[in-house]
Parts: sequence; C-alpha cells; structure tokens
Amino acid sequence: MKILKIKNLSVESTENKKKILENISFDIEEKSIHLLVGPNGSGKSTLAYALMGISRFRIISGKIIFSNKDITQFSTDKRAKMGMALGFQEPAYFEGITVENFLKAGNKNISQDKLERNLFLVGLNPKKFLSRKIDRDLSGGERKRIEFASVLVMKPKLMILDEPDSGLDIIIYREFCNILENIKKETKASILLITHQKELGNIADQATFLDKGKVTYNGNFRDVMKKYCQFSKRKKICQKTYCPKFL
Amino acid sequence: MPKNILPKIFIDTAKRCGFNTILMQKISTPHLYVESNKIISVQKIPGLRIQAESFREGVRLKLVVKKGVKIKEPIFFCFGISKEKGKQMILPEIILEEKAEAKILAHCTFPRAKNVFHQMKAKIKLEKNAKLIYQEKHYHGQNFGAEVLPDFKILIGSGATFENEFIIDKGSIGKLKVNLEAELGKNAFCEILSKIIGKGEKDNIEIYDKVLLKKENSRSLIKLRGVVFNGGKMIFKGETEALAKNTRGHIDCQEIIVGKRSIAESIPIVKVNHPEARVTHEASIGKINQKELETLMTRGLSEKEAIDFIVKGIIK
Repeated sequence: MKILKIKNLSVESTENKKKILENISFDIEEKSIHLLVGPNGSGKSTLAYALMGISRFRIISGKIIFSNKDITQFSTDKRAKMGMALGFQEPAYFEGITVENFLKAGNKNISQDKLERNLFLVGLNPKKFLSRKIDRDLSGGERKRIEFASVLVMKPKLMILDEPDSGLDIIIYREFCNILENIKKETKASILLITHQKELGNIADQATFLDKGKVTYNGNFRDVMKKYCQFSKRKKICQKTYCPKFL
Repeated sequence: MPKNILPKIFIDTAKRCGFNTILMQKISTPHLYVESNKIISVQKIPGLRIQAESFREGVRLKLVVKKGVKIKEPIFFCFGISKEKGKQMILPEIILEEKAEAKILAHCTFPRAKNVFHQMKAKIKLEKNAKLIYQEKHYHGQNFGAEVLPDFKILIGSGATFENEFIIDKGSIGKLKVNLEAELGKNAFCEILSKIIGKGEKDNIEIYDKVLLKKENSRSLIKLRGVVFNGGKMIFKGETEALAKNTRGHIDCQEIIVGKRSIAESIPIVKVNHPEARVTHEASIGKINQKELETLMTRGLSEKEAIDFIVKGIIK
C-alpha cells in the first residue's frame, strides 16, 4: 500500500516565480523509510515544503495523493490534521513558549507520560527540557531534537524529516538510526527522510535521488546510488558523499 | 452566601484578566474598589493606611505603607465604569516609607465602554530601600469605546526597587495614552514592562516611558511587547537618561503588526551625561515571523490559531 503518491509534480517559488521542481513522480510505501537524497540546491527541501502545502511554493501542475486522497489543494493545517508532519531543517525559535506548550500545540490531548516519552525518545531529559523556553539559549542540536519530538507527538502517518541529523554533534548516527527504526516500529509511520548521511542508507527501504529539481533515480537505496555513481557527471561528489560503503 | 464586594461585571473582567478573584473578593484582603466616582469598598490592614475621597468626576486617594512594614498579600485596586458612557478621574498618591514592601494589583475595567473617558494621575514615592511591585491590568470592552490616559510620576529613593507591569491583552483598546516618568536615586532599580495587544483599526496606542538615572549605580529596564491587528496603531517612545557614575539602562521593544494598514513605531531615546554610564537599546518591529507561522501550521494549527499562539508567547 502506498501512503503517498506524487504524480508529475512541478513547483515554483511564489516569490520569484522560479520553477524549482519539474515533473516529480514517486511513491512512498506505508510503514517504510524513504530517503530523499541529492546535492545541495537540488530541491529536496522545496519538495518537503510543497508536500506540506507551505505557501511560499506553488504547485504548477501534478498531484499529491495522501492516504488515497488528492490533497494537492489542501491547506497546510488540513494536511497536518490528516496525518502529515514536517520537521524543519532549521527549526524556528519561539519567544516565551515552553517546550511543553510547543509540543502540545501539535497534540492538545497527549498525556504527560507520552509527552515525556517522546522527549526521552529523541535523547532529551523531560524533567530538564519541558519547562525550557524555545529560545536562543537552546543549542542547535537541542532545538533539532525538540523539533523531532514535536513531530512525533502528532502521531503522524507520514513524517517528513528535513535533515534531522545535521548539527547533531552529540548523537552518533548509529543512535539516530536506532531512534528512527524504533519510531518506525512503535508508530508504524512512514518516514520521508532528507539527508546527506550515507549511514542512513542502512535503514532505508527506498530512496529517490533528486538533481536540479528532477528525479534522477528512484528505487532501492543501493541501486539508486549505484546508478547515480555510474552515470552521473558528478561521480566524484557522489562517491565522496554516498557511495564507498554501499557499492 | 457573602455578598459580592465588587459588581459582578467587574469580577468577570478581573477573572478574564487573570486576577485571583476569590482573594480579590475576600473582605480581609487590603483593597480599594471604585465604580465611577463612588468608593465601593476600602480595606486597610495594620501598617497600611488608605484614605480615599470622591469628588464629582472621580476619586482622590492616598495609600501609605508604614516604615519597615512588609505586606505579604497583594493590595487590590479596582477602578471601573460599568455603564456605556462616563468619565472617571483617579488621583492616587502612593507612598512606601523606608524599607516598606508591597505589591499592588490594579484592575481598570470598562466592560461596556462606548464613550468612556478614564484618566489617572498617579504620584508614587518610594523611600529608601522600599520595594513596590505595581501591576495594572486593563479591560476596555469590545467596542473600541474607551479613551484611557494613565499618567505616572514616580520617585524611587536610594536602594529602592520599583517593578511595574502594564497589561492590556483582552478585548479592544480604543485610545490609550500611557505616560510614565521615573526618577531614580542611588542604587535604585526600576523595571517598566508593557504588554499590549490591540484588536483593530480603532486602536490608537501611545506608550511613553521615561527614566532618569539621576544618582550613581541606579539601573533601569524599559520593556515593551506589543501587537497591533488590522489597521491598529501603536507608538512606543522609551527614554532613558543617565546622569551619574555606574548607571545602567536598557530599552527593549518588540512590536508586531498583523494585517493590512497596521502601524507600529518605536522611538528609543538614549541620553548619557556621564563617562561611566551606559544605556543600550534594542528594537524590532515587523510582521509575524513566517517560519514560526509555517511551523505551527505544519502542526495542525490554522493561520489564526498560529498567530494567537505566537502572540501569547511574545506577551508572556
């Protein structure tokens, strides 16, 4: 079963009308981890925003089918209520808002136990963090983990995580992989994971390679990377970033 | 069942503004309650003297906390007009004698205001090492029909502390002009905080806070958090003048505008007349942060809910 189907999606920026994504098509299976990889500027984050209906981007053509419903014209909050959630690459700070209130914004009815469990799951001590303000006193890594926890508390069917691993100096990637796998088991959610870290290939079921706003390859992570390295003009970059361990 | 001291409509607005209305209604709680020019109730306690007299358009009052007396429970004020139209002039004189301490929670409420004029001219004097927390929460109804002009002149003696909070975050505002001037003695400290949320185009808000750091080692903080919606107007002028050695002052203003035609203006004025004094300021004015908005919408909040959430955080 597919949780998400992206069909011939083209997207432009509403600010400068520049086309960023062209004719993107791929599916995400239920309860799977799907990697979205590609060089900087290839349109990975834009795709994440477009899937969530963020108004900075406009869908020119194509369709987004989520849980068998065409959500292409749906507002961001409606998509979220249907079970989609996005963890931002560079999360926002909120003056005067505590971690507890921020987490509850995504799920008002969550019990205190579950709230604490989600923080614990991302490696944060609930006693220390629930009353902390989401301001610049938090380190970048702490803020990222809170972002991740705030996605988890929503109990989404599909989590879109935009480079949740970047800036996490303290967490080793194996730990992060474990967290993702545990989440997959516990929540039975699908995860669309945007990353530059090849280690995450170990836990991925599928992958899509995006380059210059287009899908270059799609399928099994190793196959995708192999094909990319064989045929890409960016062989050196590719091998340095993704390949050695897997090919 | 004991009879309510305050009119029910005032209790309702006090509750809405976050007051502890049970404590406020307790007869033994030190208080002064006024409706238009009528003194509804006064309660003194040992060490606290309250004298009040009404005149044609308002009430004149004198509150004195005696030397060395530390009043633990809050002293409540309520100044209100329950009718749609009316005028009210409140003339308080508040004195905290040497080493006295008190906390005053004031509620100014005009819940049905369509043509209400309220003016306050307060004189506050803190003697040596006294400490006063003065919090004033307003409610001006929903009709943009109030014109409210609070004016404070504050003398803060050596070693004394004055903490002031002016809050209006429920209902409409109408016309509001706050004028506060504080003069600080040696080692004195004052913090002046305003939290204001407008609601619409008929809101016209002016806040003018002025601090004079007159004697050495005096310190001050002026802080404003304001939001105007849908064509409302807010002007904030924060002024700090440092005249003595080791004085420190800071002005911090954050204003947010939401909707078309809303206007926010911030005018920090910083004057330093001593080589060992330092006064700083920071200000930011603009629309709601787009990233914060987007984040909350991806958590399932509508745009309006997300704006409310952000605004509440800023005002907190």
